[in-house]
Amino acid sequence: MSRQHDLTNAQFRLDRRQLLSGLAATGLTLSGAHRAFGQASPRVTGESAPTPIAIPNFVAGTPADGEVGAGMAQVITNNLKRSGLFAPIDPAAFIERIADSDKPPQFANWRTISATAVVVGRMTRQPDGRLKAEFRLWDIATQQQVAGNQYVTSPEYWRRIAHIISDRIYEQYTGEKGYFDSRVVFVDESGAAERRVKRLALMDQDGANVRYLTRGADLVLTPRFSPSTQEITYMEFGQGDPKVYLFNIETGQREIVGNFPGMSFSPRFSPDGQRIIMSLQQGGNSNLFVMDLRSKTTTRLTDTPAIDTSPSYSPDGSQICFESDRGGKPQIYVMAATGGPAQRISFSKDDTNGSYSTPVWSPRGDYIAFTKQGGGQFSIGVMKTDGSGERILTSGFHNEGPTFAPNGRVLMFFRDPGGNSGPSLFTVDITGRNELRVPTPGFASDPAWSPLLS
Amino acid sequence: MKLKVDKTLVASVALHILVIGWGLVSFATKAFESIPEESVSVDMVSASTLAKAGMKSGNKAEPKPLVEKVAEAKPSDDVVGKISEKAPIVTDTAPPPQPKVEDKPVEKKPDPPKPVAESKPKEEPKQAEKKPDPAKIDPIAEALKKEQKKPPPKPQAQAAAKPPDPAKPKAERVFDQTKIAALLDKRDPTHQAVTGDTLNSNAALGLAKGKAADNSATWGAMFKEQVARCWKKPDNGIDTQRIEAQFDIKLKRDGTLEGMPVAMTSPSGSFQRVFLESGLHAIVECAPYRLPPAFFEEWKWFTPIFDSSEDR
Repeated sequence: MSRQHDLTNAQFRLDRRQLLSGLAATGLTLSGAHRAFGQASPRVTGESAPTPIAIPNFVAGTPADGEVGAGMAQVITNNLKRSGLFAPIDPAAFIERIADSDKPPQFANWRTISATAVVVGRMTRQPDGRLKAEFRLWDIATQQQVAGNQYVTSPEYWRRIAHIISDRIYEQYTGEKGYFDSRVVFVDESGAAERRVKRLALMDQDGANVRYLTRGADLVLTPRFSPSTQEITYMEFGQGDPKVYLFNIETGQREIVGNFPGMSFSPRFSPDGQRIIMSLQQGGNSNLFVMDLRSKTTTRLTDTPAIDTSPSYSPDGSQICFESDRGGKPQIYVMAATGGPAQRISFSKDDTNGSYSTPVWSPRGDYIAFTKQGGGQFSIGVMKTDGSGERILTSGFHNEGPTFAPNGRVLMFFRDPGGNSGPSLFTVDITGRNELRVPTPGFASDPAWSPLLS
Repeated sequence: MKLKVDKTLVASVALHILVIGWGLVSFATKAFESIPEESVSVDMVSASTLAKAGMKSGNKAEPKPLVEKVAEAKPSDDVVGKISEKAPIVTDTAPPPQPKVEDKPVEKKPDPPKPVAESKPKEEPKQAEKKPDPAKIDPIAEALKKEQKKPPPKPQAQAAAKPPDPAKPKAERVFDQTKIAALLDKRDPTHQAVTGDTLNSNAALGLAKGKAADNSATWGAMFKEQVARCWKKPDNGIDTQRIEAQFDIKLKRDGTLEGMPVAMTSPSGSFQRVFLESGLHAIVECAPYRLPPAFFEEWKWFTPIFDSSEDR
């Protein structure tokens, strides 16, 4: 309730601010009002604002479907609100109660509460026990249905339908693909700091439906999704050296990736899912290798007397960014996916002792996210793929391990306050706004975001 | 563990929530409106140009009467009898400013009285004090004489403008609770909107001293401010590519849209589409627009541009 109030309040403040800045800008934009073809063309500028949207509870097709109808609205509301790009309107302000999701809503009622759009839907239990979900997205200004669909699914998958609908709404009003129908694999941490149990865990991107994939007998690190979202590759400390494993989510089977002498670590899939790139230890150094999963052939990509690690492919698979201390301190380098000369792209402006690690290439291809260390701070940031335009999104002790949402718009990372406490997961928009904690049952680290499931 | 709850605290919290909640609902998200002052376009004229400028003989148009409401024409009826019209004062307009005019007998040649039409009401009528020669038969002098009979002859010329009808007592200002707003109006509580067949809030428009014809700066700013309140500009992350969307808008006299705005730019990508739609939404959502009726001819059809660059 109080959160809803905050939200409305923030909305109100934003509008006032918008007005004020509008007033201030009026003087400047007066000069911009020129005449074209005889008509005046006043120039309108503004600040970006979240889209106000109304999401009433989905109508219950049968009396038993009321709960899932409310749940749908709740999941969609939560998704859109957490994106920071939407401002779901408090249902207490609704004037109209949607009783029939097939009829257009009374647009005046929704315009009164300043809604840009209203989502109406219905959940109906089918005779065969499955659940039918229908939704329509109504645009209030144009009074038109801009999206609508129906889905039939097993009742336990209703949340996925809510995520798919959320993605559809997100795409309609942001022009970008959504990211709600996705999962996150992470390392669940429990127990005392000196005897931490680390298990691989899987959850929906909003923190729901947590499943544990390993039992915690062995230490696991750096899980990464395959592009098919069906497999995970990770590093596990077994009896001997840490090794890279492949885990099938559906079957629960796991296998070791290659049989190399020494440590293998920091694995990641290629965008086509056919190869795994990773670091192999060779004495005090490590180099990058890529292994074809079908032919099991391994190719060396780097050969340096340094530690090359944390490789990540560009979305088109043509380039690789990675971390290397070949210049002294860990920095980010980019090279062709086939190996060859590498170009250093990270240069700390403010702190010459700053180091960069854990680079991740955005699924959109435009940015590389990283962990930056310097001045006693661990920061999460993004830079363009040529190293320009560095932006720090969050700083403090101790932030690490960014991973991109499927649309490249949001980053998830973990933060460990140190002491007896443990790490938790956070998301932040790549603009640096809207930092939010992701709910997890216990401590959590090393998140990896899956691609969209559908 | 039992929780100890202070009843007054609970009551206080509940009341606060009630009041704030009510405030949030009743002060909806539409922000406070404020209409900017009408701007006046200014031409810079250099001194040399000014020196070369000849006498202008523009048409002296009849000022259009002020009209605030469309109805059967009815001129403003000022019941208080405030001094809004000044009776033309018949007087010498240009006597040579002689010293001690008051004491001297009038053997001076009388100035030929100038035609009444020429005497401008705003002229400082100092000459009204001039005592005329009673012997002379002068229509002006006669008129002034009449005036002199009034007990204390106010030197101010305006005194002459007092309504001559003594039968109609001057209406006193009576406090009327229902018309408190009129107190601010500085006019009379019983003031009625001046009516006519067309709205004209700017009686000076079109006159030599009126505003210029291009007033888009004025109403354009008003439009911008109003539409900006409804515009939810989409956020494109940290990409700073500038996008513009232009629309063709036709408005009715009452500020409502004559039809759906027509986009004049075609979107080249999905974000451009969303940007364009956001502008369209804003235009539709914020209608009707309150724009100065005087400039209707200018804003009945115009083509605003929505610009993705940030306000600065």
